[in-house]
Amino acid sequence: MKTILRSLLAATALAAFAGTASAEGVGGISKIGLAVPNLQADFFNQIKLGVEGYAAKLGIEVIAVDAKNDTATQVSQVQDLLTQGIDAFIYIPAGAAAAAVPTRLARAEGIPVINVDREPDGAPGDTVIYGENVMSAYQVCDHLIGLAGGEGKMVVIHGQKGTTPEVQRFEGCKMTIDENPGVELVAQQWSQQWSPDEGFQIAQNMLQANPDISIIFGQADGLAMGAAKAVEVAGMADDVVIGGYDGDGAALESLVACDTPFIVTATQSTQAMGVLAVNAAIAVANDASVPARQIPNAVLTTCENAAQFVEKHP
Amino acid sequence: MTPSTGPTERARIAEWFSLSGATGPLIGLLLLCAFLSFATDSFLSFRNFLNIADQITVLGIMAVGMTFVILIGGIDLSVGSVLALAMMVLGYLNVVAELPMAVAIAGALVAAALCGAVSGLLITVFAVPAFIATLAMMSIARGLANMITDGSQIIGFPAWFNMGAIIRNFGFLTMTVAVMLVVFVLAILFLRFREEGRSLYAIGGNAEVARLAGIDVKLTTVMVYTVCALLSGLAGVLLAARLDSVQPSSGVAYELDAIAAVVIGGTSLSGGTGSVVGTIIGVLVIGVLRNGLNLLSVSPFVQAVVIGLVIVLAVAAETFKHRTR
Repeated sequence: MKTILRSLLAATALAAFAGTASAEGVGGISKIGLAVPNLQADFFNQIKLGVEGYAAKLGIEVIAVDAKNDTATQVSQVQDLLTQGIDAFIYIPAGAAAAAVPTRLARAEGIPVINVDREPDGAPGDTVIYGENVMSAYQVCDHLIGLAGGEGKMVVIHGQKGTTPEVQRFEGCKMTIDENPGVELVAQQWSQQWSPDEGFQIAQNMLQANPDISIIFGQADGLAMGAAKAVEVAGMADDVVIGGYDGDGAALESLVACDTPFIVTATQSTQAMGVLAVNAAIAVANDASVPARQIPNAVLTTCENAAQFVEKHP
Repeated sequence: MTPSTGPTERARIAEWFSLSGATGPLIGLLLLCAFLSFATDSFLSFRNFLNIADQITVLGIMAVGMTFVILIGGIDLSVGSVLALAMMVLGYLNVVAELPMAVAIAGALVAAALCGAVSGLLITVFAVPAFIATLAMMSIARGLANMITDGSQIIGFPAWFNMGAIIRNFGFLTMTVAVMLVVFVLAILFLRFREEGRSLYAIGGNAEVARLAGIDVKLTTVMVYTVCALLSGLAGVLLAARLDSVQPSSGVAYELDAIAAVVIGGTSLSGGTGSVVGTIIGVLVIGVLRNGLNLLSVSPFVQAVVIGLVIVLAVAAETFKHRTR
């Protein structure tokens, strides 16, 4: 997996620099603005680290702003970024409504707009980079159902309703459920923040209503780990298997220890996304072509292979 | 606080400029601006001040309503949720039901005002403490906002709607900022020169005395909560224009920003003293601080600490001033 990823990165980097070989510095980009929805979420924090680490190597300054999940805050922050004369804008929209306004503002300045994770309807950036969701979620649920022997009662704890990952991860998981007639989807509930406390609460209520649940899919590691706690509290740790998504730092460490019902996740190539975003920004600034969509896969992560990702997050 | 029944022309003008206890925050604001002008290259520019004006629109309008509520000794925790509800009603009426924007805006404002009226009636008729009544409304309005679209966003407003928040008429004035300025002027005039405005101070000072003095305390209280909610609704309409989309998760914790702005502006949480001018300064302090910290590239985590410290400083300075008097 690592080698595939590495060659992928190398290819993109080459593509990015092909058009900039003769340009001064790093293709005329010295300052990048990065708008992040919420740094409390490890997923976004990892992307930020990816952007910052790679940009530092290239000698590019990164200004990051955190919208705390509020779209209006994010629009204000983008105005402030543009005031500071950024040369490229990496935009991760906040909230379920991906606002088109930041893209329009940046377009008015004539700078590259690179979307990560999602893109606003009607105002796409120069490229969008997001983790593949459907197939990876399929793999997680497939692994879970396999461990449960292909049958049992299952529940799904969704992320924020209406967001792309929420919709697509369920789509992927539903495919496996439909392939296994022995598996019955008995309940689903939506969280607001993808957070562990919500996962705990939702799982507790689900266990109350359906004490014979044996499979739980949380659409984010936070949700899954919260659910794992609830299962432990209910004394059902041996009867239930739980899958998550994202490959957060805390989740990977929990998988390495492998002492909870939470036993599988899909690790997203978050740091790689940051690198891809910086490369795309440089490429666009130098009129090199970039694909409209760049979709790195998430890697199925179990107790066996989690350690390597703890060591170095992809 | 001198009643404004028939002051001379000169006193009238003097009153206009009196800051009624907001001199401390004003000095703080000026110091902050001076510091940021030296610390960053990009702060002291016409364009950045226009940005700040854009950025404080929603908070500014909500804080005016909150000032009225706090002046009568109340509190309104529901403004953020009411804002979200108004936005969703607007989106539903305009985009889903395809009604003209004017009807949609009217509908959004009516929905918001109704929330405020219900809170006001709970407080006056059923004697529910304002904190609890508006806490309940916060939850109800948020739930209703989510129910309209089952939690998802609405996009697809007419193009001119978003342009109202972007195009700067005469080179500086967006439609949304213009609305905020009108609200500011009307609120200042109302509090200073209208009998009903003066009665807010009387109710906040002592509701019983105000009642004995012939003020209809209950009616005024209901009206104040209604106006506060109406202004939140108006802020919601402007926010929808700014974002060119509506979502039910908007405005979470905005009530705390509004309360912070009012308190920084020198309005007493126990009611009876304060002013809209002070609140405007409070709003500017928060707006300039957020803008400045972004321009300084201060880490978001540190920003949260700094804003908290400013609130503490503002209130501590006010308390200290009262004690030494």
